[in-house]
Amino acid sequence: MLEMQHIKKVYRTDLIETHALEDFSLHVRPGEFVAVMGPSGSGKTTFLNVAGLLDTFSAGTYVLDGKDVSRLGDDEMSRIRNQKIGFVFQSFNLIPDLDVFDNVDVPLRYRGLSTPERRVRIERALEMVGLSARARHLPSQLSGGQQQRVAIARVLAGDPRLILADEPTGNLDSLMNREIMDLLDRINEQGTTIVMVTHSPECALRAQRQIHLLDGKVVDLDAAPSLVTPEAVAS
Amino acid sequence: MVPYNLRLALLSLRRNRILSAVIVGGIALGIAVSTMFSTMRHAFARDPLPHKSDRVFYVRMDSWDPLKPYPGDDPNRPPTQITYQDMVALMRSDIPARQSGMYKSNLYLFPDPAVGRPRKVMTRLCFSDFFPLFDVPFKYGSGWDKKADQGPEQVVVLDEETNDLLFGGQNSVAKTVRIEDREFKVVGVLDHWRPTVKFYDVTQSYVQPPEGMYIPFNHLRPMQIRTNGNTDGWKSPPGPGFDGFLASETSWVQMWVELPKDRVQAYKDYVDAYVIEQKKTGRFPRPLNNRVTPMMAWLKEQKTVPDEVTTMMIVSLLFLAVCALNLTGLLLSKFLARAPEIGVRRALGARRVDVFLQHVVECELVAVVGGAIGVLLSIGGLAVINKWGQTLAQRNDLFRFDGTMLAVAVGLSLLAGLVAGVYPAWRVCRTAPAIHLKLQ
Repeated sequence: MLEMQHIKKVYRTDLIETHALEDFSLHVRPGEFVAVMGPSGSGKTTFLNVAGLLDTFSAGTYVLDGKDVSRLGDDEMSRIRNQKIGFVFQSFNLIPDLDVFDNVDVPLRYRGLSTPERRVRIERALEMVGLSARARHLPSQLSGGQQQRVAIARVLAGDPRLILADEPTGNLDSLMNREIMDLLDRINEQGTTIVMVTHSPECALRAQRQIHLLDGKVVDLDAAPSLVTPEAVAS
Repeated sequence: MVPYNLRLALLSLRRNRILSAVIVGGIALGIAVSTMFSTMRHAFARDPLPHKSDRVFYVRMDSWDPLKPYPGDDPNRPPTQITYQDMVALMRSDIPARQSGMYKSNLYLFPDPAVGRPRKVMTRLCFSDFFPLFDVPFKYGSGWDKKADQGPEQVVVLDEETNDLLFGGQNSVAKTVRIEDREFKVVGVLDHWRPTVKFYDVTQSYVQPPEGMYIPFNHLRPMQIRTNGNTDGWKSPPGPGFDGFLASETSWVQMWVELPKDRVQAYKDYVDAYVIEQKKTGRFPRPLNNRVTPMMAWLKEQKTVPDEVTTMMIVSLLFLAVCALNLTGLLLSKFLARAPEIGVRRALGARRVDVFLQHVVECELVAVVGGAIGVLLSIGGLAVINKWGQTLAQRNDLFRFDGTMLAVAVGLSLLAGLVAGVYPAWRVCRTAPAIHLKLQ
């Protein structure tokens, strides 16, 4: 589903070069649920931006869903983001002026779907996250957990092949945390690939595989599960 | 996507009402000023007969003093009017589809004592072709026929205002009115006809309203009606009295012809041949210099569009440009404040062009709302200027906001919206999505 080979991402200013990703390689199979962990500054967010075609990279190759996306134009990257990738952000990133229904509608608008088809998709997605009754509420009228469910409904409506989640439970309490992780589990069970960046060992354990980043590289990939042990969770 | 973008634009306007009001107000002010002065220029510059002005010609002949040219900026220009005797000769031509010599005079009208006191009314003496030649609209009846020209029959066409005065606006055809010492039968009443430029006679103040009465030209001799317009002469009349005046080299008659396209040269040849023939009798001592000038070229030559009005229009358009450019800064800050939202949209699949169009539509919505307010302000401004016109030109309807100017206002509004908004929209569409997603 996602295959990165020797990816390098360098941020340059006049004075310094920052190697955010260095010889980064990763293979994620279709239907996998992968957790990406690492300390702050290890390159997690850069990886997610590159994986989500939100940012370019300096060297290496990236094949997404069988297509080399290393050197695509902006329009083509937008199209792939719209049709194949769904994003779940830590801070939900809902548009405050739009109600729940219209927020879920945003990616569908850019796909050029007909009004009836969009309506069906939105209603189905809201039903899946249990927010059908809140369709005309503004984000400010919802709790954090509900807002994150709206963000997930926005992803579901687009029916993506890959979901990239950036600390999806980072702003939620433990009850909401569990609720969102259950929801992601259910989505993964239906065959959608999920790559989730998290600081939470508990959340990472819900994934089928955990990888650890340090200084822009995947470290000790084979031993990665041992980095997230039940003991670590308990501590 | 346009309806969707319009909805987003409306939401954006409501989000920050004060800033939106400032932006809309800026556009409104620019549109009000530019539309007002553009309307003024349009009123002077528009073609009064757009479907036929290229077939309508003003005729001049240089019968002036051999020792010095006709006064004016250009020594090659012939007098602006022709003599009576030359007009009579030209009217014998059968080349024009329509033709009319004409002049204006101030005649006494004697209304029924019950409706008013005797008064002087500006009257045009012309031939029957005058009305179809200039597409003069009729409310009741029509102009007179060629037989009435020859008579001349005592027939009159009243304008709407005079008919309102004499007959309370009723159909007065076949009724009689007393002009000077004679009874005239009304054959027609004009509909509302107030061209800003009195295009058929621009030899004097061309913003005066059309005349109140029209009678056959040939009444000039039996009633001895002198002109109230310009008279240009360089030589003493050959004899005394009114007949001497008519036989003189004084030019005071305007001559218009409507020519089929394939007969223009033939008519010019006719005029030249007439002058060459007259030279044999000692007239037309200057070099052959006849002019058969298309209507719009004649109006341009007479500068019926005042330079001041053109200058004011240019300055007002520059003012609109300054307004639009000032708004660029406001729009830029407004749009950039929304960068996190744009980052989300880009992450969800919006292309740069989608983001660009979303913001251009918002700019255009602002421009249309501002333009609508600007048009209302402009109409108000024109009303004030028209009130001044009452003092300056004895009329209060010089400038009208018509469909053409509405189209111009819409066009200017959209253009101002584009000028103000293209750069901010371009800047915001370049937003790198990754930078802002964490900030949301």
